[in-house]
Amino acid sequence: MRLWCEAMWGIMRRDGILFMSYRTQLVSQFVGPLFAITLFYYISHLLAVKTFHSPGGYFGYVIVGLVIVEVLTISLGIMPGSVRQELVSGTIERFLVSAHGPVNGIIGTMLFPLCNAILSGVLTLVLATVVFGLPLAATSFLAIPVALLGVIAFMPFALFLVAVVMAFKQVAAASQFIVSGIAIVGGLYFPIGLLPGWLRWASEVQPFTPATDLMRHLLVNTPLVHPAGVELLKLVGFSVVLLPAGFMLLRVSIRYGQRTGTVAEY
Amino acid sequence: MSSSSVSAPVTSQPHTAGSAGEPVLELERLYHKWKGPKPPVLDDVSLTLRSGEVTWVGGRNGAGKTTLLRLAAGILLPQRGSVRMGELTPASKRGLYRRRIGFLSAGDRSLQARMRVRQQLDYWARLAYVPRERRAELVALNLQRFGLDEFAERRVDRMSMGQRQRIRLAMAFLHEPIVLLLDEPRNSLDDDGYRLLSEQIELAAAAGATVLWCSPRGEDRVLTSDAGYTLEDGHLEQIE
Repeated sequence: MRLWCEAMWGIMRRDGILFMSYRTQLVSQFVGPLFAITLFYYISHLLAVKTFHSPGGYFGYVIVGLVIVEVLTISLGIMPGSVRQELVSGTIERFLVSAHGPVNGIIGTMLFPLCNAILSGVLTLVLATVVFGLPLAATSFLAIPVALLGVIAFMPFALFLVAVVMAFKQVAAASQFIVSGIAIVGGLYFPIGLLPGWLRWASEVQPFTPATDLMRHLLVNTPLVHPAGVELLKLVGFSVVLLPAGFMLLRVSIRYGQRTGTVAEY
Repeated sequence: MSSSSVSAPVTSQPHTAGSAGEPVLELERLYHKWKGPKPPVLDDVSLTLRSGEVTWVGGRNGAGKTTLLRLAAGILLPQRGSVRMGELTPASKRGLYRRRIGFLSAGDRSLQARMRVRQQLDYWARLAYVPRERRAELVALNLQRFGLDEFAERRVDRMSMGQRQRIRLAMAFLHEPIVLLLDEPRNSLDDDGYRLLSEQIELAAAAGATVLWCSPRGEDRVLTSDAGYTLEDGHLEQIE
């Protein structure tokens, strides 16, 4: 277990070194959310929707949505992209011949982007609070375990996409499509009540809606659509069912590549 | 590099291999066919690698040498036939199997371009499950073994092809594997680099490891090879 942890830390450290070696990335990580927050701060002042009692109501609502979009973009966009990059540069071979192995190695590549996404989310909330006066609820600290549970529930989707990358070598268009779709049906920018009835079912069959609802409730006191216990159960349920399926699919896709000989192709 | 050219070969603790001549890695009746109408690249190929021996496999480009090495390393799984190291196979007890393998692929890939050389070796040592107590020692030893000391803090993408090849070789040897699988290891190496490589191969074999070396041309054969084969039309032929 110690060797496993040290290998995982080695991969995280590697990704940290690579990230920091591109200095403008750090700047853009800080400036990017600031632009998005500013944009939505002024848009919220233009809105007068009965769902929200004040412009500040929508601002708080959408800021939590932005945080979730950040995590989604990284987990569903950047992670499969990183694995594709490992294939193209040939560095995936290190996982394939190491004691740590390809599945652990690929999971290791998810750790730095995930931590980065969480930090970026926290930065977004801090900027919105300090610069734009977003009033955070007293229950905000409870959002941390919920966010972690949410990340676990999102992870299978990243694993599915990574498995597709390992088997078919390309997934960029699909991940973009999925992130955009989830942003709509998960109610990340607007309440799902505004969606047409025929589309609303899609909000109930993925973990993003309950995670977003809970996070909003804990961070900015938005009323819950369903009771908190039900939302939590949904998150746990999605994690328990989808996570083993995600790992299995990743293993199968690697095995498939090893048998056909395409595992290190790009 | 010049400092290494006058020094004695850098040794390390002996590999935990069996006694000389004992089978270490057994490839039996391997078959591999790539998609498409072409005939199989490996057809009923068997090879036994023994402790303390150096084996060379040659053959024209595309003959299947890299596929053979990848199967031996467990990167690919056999479509037919088997790869065994005692009780271990690449499909079962994978981690233990891979801990005993040192692999060098052909070309200049598989390096983290923006990492420093020492960081690169430390990263690999972690992936190879080298215990913390021995990691720094083995990294330092392999920097020395391949004449990389003076470049330890240099970024990999700022190094020449020959220097990169030395880093890749250092990674193949670092965790003291008992099976060394080297695909065109002479690529881009200067005379000094080749000498260091030959020394390390000899030392590894003397310590009980087995070495399989592939290259297309006979002149690339390592001086100390105990057996030589050519791969042609999917079949392995022993040569004198």
